[in-house]
Amino acid sequence: MLTAFVRAFRTPDLRNKLLFTLFILVIFRLGSAVPLPGIDSAEIRQCMENATASGGGVYQLVNLFSGGSLLQLAIFALGIMPYITASIILNLLTVVIPRLETLRKEGQSGQARITQYTRYLTIGLAVLQSTTILAMAQSGQMFQNFCSPSLFMPNQDILTLITMVFTLVGGTAVIMWFGELITDRGIGNGMSLLIFTQIVAVFPSEMIRIWQEQDRWVFAVIVAAGIVMVAAVVFVEQAQRRIPVQYAKRMVGRRMFGGTSTYIPLKVNQAGVIPVIFASSLLYLPTLAVGLLGEDSTNPVVRFLMTYFDPTQIHPVYMATYFVLIVGFAFFYVAITFNPADVADNMKKYGGFIPGIRPGRPTAEYLDFVLSRITTAGALYLGVIALLPMVALGTAGASANFPFGGTSILIMVGVGLDMVKRIESQLQQRNYEGFLR
Amino acid sequence: MNTLILGLSIVLMICSVLMVLLVLLHKGKGGGLSDLFGGGVTTSLGGSSVVERNLDRLTIGTGIVWFACVVALGLLMGAEVPPQ
Repeated sequence: MLTAFVRAFRTPDLRNKLLFTLFILVIFRLGSAVPLPGIDSAEIRQCMENATASGGGVYQLVNLFSGGSLLQLAIFALGIMPYITASIILNLLTVVIPRLETLRKEGQSGQARITQYTRYLTIGLAVLQSTTILAMAQSGQMFQNFCSPSLFMPNQDILTLITMVFTLVGGTAVIMWFGELITDRGIGNGMSLLIFTQIVAVFPSEMIRIWQEQDRWVFAVIVAAGIVMVAAVVFVEQAQRRIPVQYAKRMVGRRMFGGTSTYIPLKVNQAGVIPVIFASSLLYLPTLAVGLLGEDSTNPVVRFLMTYFDPTQIHPVYMATYFVLIVGFAFFYVAITFNPADVADNMKKYGGFIPGIRPGRPTAEYLDFVLSRITTAGALYLGVIALLPMVALGTAGASANFPFGGTSILIMVGVGLDMVKRIESQLQQRNYEGFLR
Repeated sequence: MNTLILGLSIVLMICSVLMVLLVLLHKGKGGGLSDLFGGGVTTSLGGSSVVERNLDRLTIGTGIVWFACVVALGLLMGAEVPPQ
């Protein structure tokens, strides 16, 4: 493990990439701590402490994704959220709108077009979200009336507010550019690394908070549970079923091709962490609705949402909805990304077959059967991992923003594994271990 | 309202708009969400073109001005408030 790191830093190319990535991440974290012009940073930090100490605010999950910068109203307060939302929207739209579907099938150029649409939509969403957040902050709803907005927003004239909106949107553009720079010149996927950074950034302070608030034994148990969960997630993320494929020998001209036997890897959790993100973004809608409608308990809709979908006091209905959404999205996402009929067609074209099964439609049916069985296990696993902390902590009485929350563990492990794999493949590209050693 | 603050606010707004436009002018890298969490491996080989490099420089310049404006404006507004 350590030798790999030393080797990574000995390779000049890889070293530059790693340092570049670190540099961008440092700037990103720095920007997450700089407050917007017109915001009193000392006051707002005080407000945030008050709010989190008494059970957490509305934006728990979103704040998790933004690494605490949202509640501080930093210049990068929106973080990566607009981009994620835009990608989710476009992903869902590809199923509905035929034009996007054809673009997606077009290969690289079509994909580039979709990316471009995502970027436009990101800016649009950034304008929307920044105004919403500022409106919530101004009306004092952001901290659930724990402190008055005039404390941290001393001058609320229209010019200051407009400047804030512009700055937030500009910040979102900068973050998007950072992500693309990392993808392009650094190592790993930029956007996911940025999310990873924000989640990890909250980690130490959360651990310190638990250490201070809870008993030492409780702390030890929580750490142990976290380690076990990480191990379990790594284990399942790596798991895959290999379906053997045999390619027939064929002659092209006077050369012999094929005759090899390979396999199709079907991952147990083919959808990755995306279903969890989709589901939690959707579940955040009721809280947003409550925020917009106001918290008067006479309105039946508000009362319904408050009793069943309040993230601070987890109701069984909330958990069940979360679980069902995750399982549903897992199947949905696998269905979008893996098309058994296409795979079977391709295999038939190149003279490949699964031993014991006819090429063509029977192969597609077989793949579909195996895939849906595997995905059932994968989807249940995702739902259980995401729910486990909630259930355990609900009974133990700890707060919901536990650092080993299912979503954050899944994202951390997923991105971390991806990172390690990429570095390793880069290493193997550079120093090929020769015959004699 | 201080004229300096007013001026800086306007500069900041212009910079933000410029920033958005410049970033959107870049060619988007990475293919959305499926690429987000260990999806396909899309490595683009080959260096960036001259246009792209100049665009990078412009973006970095605008970014620095933007950040300086944010910090200066934050400090000015912080300094202005206590007497009230």
